[in-house]
Amino acid sequence: MALVEIRDVRKTFGKIEVLKGVSLDVEEGEIVTIIGRSGSGKSTLLRCINALESVDSGEIRVEGQKVHAKMPDLKKFRQRVGIVFQAFNLFPHLKVERNITLAPLLTGRVEKAKARVLAEDVLTRVGLADKIDAWPEQLSGGQQQRVAIARCLAMAPHLMLFDEVTSALDPELVGEVLKVMEAMAEQGMTMILVTHEMGFARNVADRIVFMHQGRVWEQGPPAKLFANPGTPELKSFIASAK
Amino acid sequence: MNFLPLWRYQNQLIDGAIITLELTVISALAGLVIGIAGAVALKGRITPLRWLVRGYIELFRNTPSLIQIFIVFFVLPNFGLKLPAFEAAAVALSLYFGAYSVEIIRAGLDSIPRSQVEAGQCLGLSGWQVFRHIILPPALRNAYPAVTSQFVLLLLGTSLASQVATDELFHVAGFIESRTYRSFEVYAVICAVYFAMAMSFKALFAVIALAAFRWPRRR
Repeated sequence: MALVEIRDVRKTFGKIEVLKGVSLDVEEGEIVTIIGRSGSGKSTLLRCINALESVDSGEIRVEGQKVHAKMPDLKKFRQRVGIVFQAFNLFPHLKVERNITLAPLLTGRVEKAKARVLAEDVLTRVGLADKIDAWPEQLSGGQQQRVAIARCLAMAPHLMLFDEVTSALDPELVGEVLKVMEAMAEQGMTMILVTHEMGFARNVADRIVFMHQGRVWEQGPPAKLFANPGTPELKSFIASAK
Repeated sequence: MNFLPLWRYQNQLIDGAIITLELTVISALAGLVIGIAGAVALKGRITPLRWLVRGYIELFRNTPSLIQIFIVFFVLPNFGLKLPAFEAAAVALSLYFGAYSVEIIRAGLDSIPRSQVEAGQCLGLSGWQVFRHIILPPALRNAYPAVTSQFVLLLLGTSLASQVATDELFHVAGFIESRTYRSFEVYAVICAVYFAMAMSFKALFAVIALAAFRWPRRR
């Protein structure tokens, strides 16, 4: 059984059908990168996986459990699925430590006495142990995004979703975030990424999924897909992304 | 000009100022609770409740607060609710302050981007936890300047309670004037007292803001 099973998912916003029957499996430990033009439904698909959006038809299962916005243990489910956003979404009124420990404390994952150690631990993993007492506003975009990743890691998720996490960063800050994600990949984290970083997709992903007009248009290992795109749409997308 | 005749009324003036302060603080605290609850109701999904809150806001913001006090003090006893002057004024002023607070706090809540809520939900927090820990603190900071200036308006507005014979500062002034015939002196003095109280509150609010809102503003 795959960790994530997506079966014929459809999703409409108003009159626009964004997902037109998407099916996709992601195995445990796999790193899947979703690429495609804006409007192809990549981000919507990602948001459906942790029930930020509900699907109109079809179904999504994570660890065998059917995902939808009214599932009885939605909160527990979301603790197992981390998501990192394009805009970081750190809590501006909380210091880095509290950004990280708020959810573990409120959900009873960690006791008060051990919270700071947890924050130190995950911050070390993203290379920001010295920023534990900083306010988010005092950090660069790349640092804020690494704190956002650390905040997810503190919940010890089984699956991580990344929604264009480098798109809002200055070019010179992209590398530090990608490096953290590469390290996570090496440690065996199951990851689904929506990204425009073709280099990262090529070097780190086990599989590339090319979405086009609300469908999975083409998928396969990066070496094959980038060298021999099977469809003219992917071919022109790769050419335009270079 | 002669302020000396007022000297023997200093205790009454102090008592009046204390009652003014009590009336202000009680009405502000109660009004703030109304404001937060009303703002949550306005953003909630229960349509009749939203209409109710909306009606309440429009009613209290578009009628004179003097009449609101009169209604609580003179009219409600006909329906079996008889309140002493201070309590009646406190109820009316709480509802008055609450009506403004709802809108101010709703605007504060609206200023928090949806993405903050999503970030909290995605960490497995409940709706209440997201509201309490993620939305409310920055929303209160954004609402704070408007709430505090509304508070000063409330402080000055408590003088209306004199019209139902609450022994607050303005009522005391009327009493002293009727005894001394020193209108200018009496009103100059209580004007100064109101001014001093308002400025003191402003300073106090600035100190509270420094302590409560320590995170840096968005650049």
